[in-house]
Amino acid sequence: MNSKSTKNDPKLFAGVDVGAATAKAVIIGDNGILGYAVRSTGHDVKIAADAVMQEALEKSGLDVDVSDLAYIVSTGYARRTLQFAHKPITEIICHAKGANFLFPDCHFIIDMGGQDSKAIEVDDEGNVVNFVMNDKCAAGTGRFLEVMAHVLDVEDIADMGPLALSSRHPCSISSTCTVFAETEVVVLRGAGKDRADLIAGVHRAVSSRVAVMAKALTIRPEAVFTGGVAKNAAVKKFLEEAIGMELHVPEEPQIVGALGAALLAREEATRLPAVETIESELPHR
Amino acid sequence: MDALQRLGAHLETRLGSLEEAKRQGRKVIGYTAGGYLPEELVLACDAIPIGYVRAGDNNILRDAGSYICRWIDPFWRSQIGYLTSKKDPYYNIADLIVVPITDNHARAFSNTIVFYTPEVESFVFGVPHVKDELALGYYLDGLKRLKNKLERFTGIRIGKQGLKKAIELCNRERELFSQISMLRKANGNVVPSRDFIALHHGSFLADKEVMVDVLESYLKEAKKREPSADNVPRVLLTGSTLGDGDTKVLDLIEDCGGMVVMEEFAEGLRPYWTSVGLEDDPMAALAKAYLMERVCPGWFRPGTERLDFLVELVGDYRASGLIWYQLMYRESYKVESYFFPQILKQKTGLNMLVLESEYDTAAELGTMRTRIETYIETIRT
Repeated sequence: MNSKSTKNDPKLFAGVDVGAATAKAVIIGDNGILGYAVRSTGHDVKIAADAVMQEALEKSGLDVDVSDLAYIVSTGYARRTLQFAHKPITEIICHAKGANFLFPDCHFIIDMGGQDSKAIEVDDEGNVVNFVMNDKCAAGTGRFLEVMAHVLDVEDIADMGPLALSSRHPCSISSTCTVFAETEVVVLRGAGKDRADLIAGVHRAVSSRVAVMAKALTIRPEAVFTGGVAKNAAVKKFLEEAIGMELHVPEEPQIVGALGAALLAREEATRLPAVETIESELPHR
Repeated sequence: MDALQRLGAHLETRLGSLEEAKRQGRKVIGYTAGGYLPEELVLACDAIPIGYVRAGDNNILRDAGSYICRWIDPFWRSQIGYLTSKKDPYYNIADLIVVPITDNHARAFSNTIVFYTPEVESFVFGVPHVKDELALGYYLDGLKRLKNKLERFTGIRIGKQGLKKAIELCNRERELFSQISMLRKANGNVVPSRDFIALHHGSFLADKEVMVDVLESYLKEAKKREPSADNVPRVLLTGSTLGDGDTKVLDLIEDCGGMVVMEEFAEGLRPYWTSVGLEDDPMAALAKAYLMERVCPGWFRPGTERLDFLVELVGDYRASGLIWYQLMYRESYKVESYFFPQILKQKTGLNMLVLESEYDTAAELGTMRTRIETYIETIRT
C-alpha cells in the first residue's frame, strides 16, 4: 500500500499510546501493521503525540497525513488530551487487544512501563476479564530500574539486563520501594558487593514486586510480557521464575498498547455506518 | 423549591440557628462517624446532634500533619485537621464531642481532642467487634454512661417517654431513607446516587424534624419521576468511608458511563435498614438495634455478616459491577480487601474493582479514571 491514499482512507487506522516515559504510534491497514514509532514523551504530551504519529506515518511509507486516517484511538495517561484522536480507550483494554492479536492464545498479560505496571486477564477474544495495576509509586516499574542504573553507574539502561544475567550470586534486596531499595543498594555497595550481583538483586526485587501483584489474578497460559521493561531479559527470567510460567515477549513490546489501540480503531470504524457521516459528532476531533 | 433545594437552604442557615439555640441554653453535641452514636439520646435531652463526615480535601491533611502521623487514614486525619485548625465551624460550635471508639483511627482522634484541644470537652465509649451477650452488655454500659454524661451536661433528665419520642423520630428518618433506597431497585434512575448521598450527608447536620420533612418530600418527588433509560452498568459502591466532599469516585463512575445504584459504607452514610424497637426499656432497645441488628460495617465482624449483606444487595439492586473504595492506611479494610474480591466473585460472579485514596486528587484522578473506565468497559462487554 504505497500509493497516495485518499482523504479519510477507510483502510487506514492508527493507535497512539502516550505513556509517562514514551509515546508510541502504530498505523495499520486491513492486513496488519504498516508502520510504527516510539519516542520519548518529553514535557508536552501533545507535541509528543503529534511527532510520534508523524514518524509512524513516515515509516509506513504512505503519502498521507494524520487527517487522512479513517479512525484513531488514543490510549495511555494522556489519551483524553489528544485532539486528533476519535476516541480514547484505556491502556489496559488496548494492551489486551494488542497482545491477543500478536499471541492469539494469550490469556494473561504483564505490562511493565515507565511509571506503572499492570497484570491483565483476558478471554479468548482479547477482552479484559480482570486486572490489577500498580501506579502509586515507582516500585515494579521501569523507573525503579532507571534509578538503580543511576546509583550503580550504568549509563545505558539497556545494559542492565545483560549485567544482571552475568551475576553468579545475586544479592538479596528486600525492599521494593525505590527509595528504600536505593539505600539498601548503597549500603551493599559500601560492603563491597559485586556490581553485577547488586544489579541482579535489583532485577529480582522488581520482578518479585510485579509477580506478587500478578498473582492476585488467575495466571493462565499463554502469558505475554509487554511494555518497555519487557525488553529486559533479566526481568523476564526472574518474573518467569516467580510466576512459574513462560512469558512470551513480542518483537517490539513497547508498541503493544498502541497496536491494540489501532486494532480497536479498526473495529470502531467497522461498527460505524460511514465515518464521514458522524464525524461532526466525534468528541475528540 | 424541591426537597434538596430546601435541605440546601436549611443548611445554609444552620450555623446561625445553632448559635441561636446555644444562646437559648441548648447544647450542641458533635459526634464522629461510624453509626454507633444513637442520636436519640442527644435529642431526648433537648440537645442538637451534629455528625462529622466532612472529608475529601487534601489540604486539611497538611494541617493534621502537625498533630498526627501519616499512618492514620485520611478521613480521620481530616477530622483531626478540622478540629485543630478550627477551619470547620461545626467543630467550633460543639459543646461536647462524643467519639464511639470503633478502631485505632477513632481512638487517635479522641486522643487528639484530649491532648491538643483540652478546651473541647469530649466523651468516649467503646464499640465491641463481636455480637454476643457480653458485647451487648459492654455496649449498653457505654450508652448508659453516655446518657448520664448528657444528663449532667445538659441538666435535663432523659426519661423513657422522651427517649421513645426521639426513637420514633429517628425511626421515621431511617424508614424514609429505606423507602427512598428501595426505589433504586427498579429500572431507571429516579434516585440518583448524588441525591441519595447529599441527603445522607445533609442529615448529619440538619435539624431532625426538618430532615424528616425533606425526606418525605424527596420520596414523593422521586415517586413521580420518569425512570431514565436503564442500559448503563449498575454499580454497587461500597467500602470504608464516603466523606462529605469526597465525590471523585462517583464523578468518575458517572463520567465513564456507569450508574451507582447503591452505596454501602461504614462511615459517611447513615445506617438506615433497622428500626429501634419501642419496647419497655428504650436503652436496651437502642443497644440492640445499634449493635446487634445493624449490619456491622466490618466485613468479618462477626462472621460474614456484611459480606452476605453485600451479596444480597447485589441481587436486590441488580448490580452488574462492584466497586470497593477504601482509604489509605485503613488497615482493617485493606486486609479484608484481599479476601473479598475472591469471595464475591464466587458468590456473585462479579469482579470487584478495588480503589484506594488518600484524598490526593491530582495524583489519583488519572489512574483512578483508568481503572474505573476499564472496569465499566469490562461490565459492558
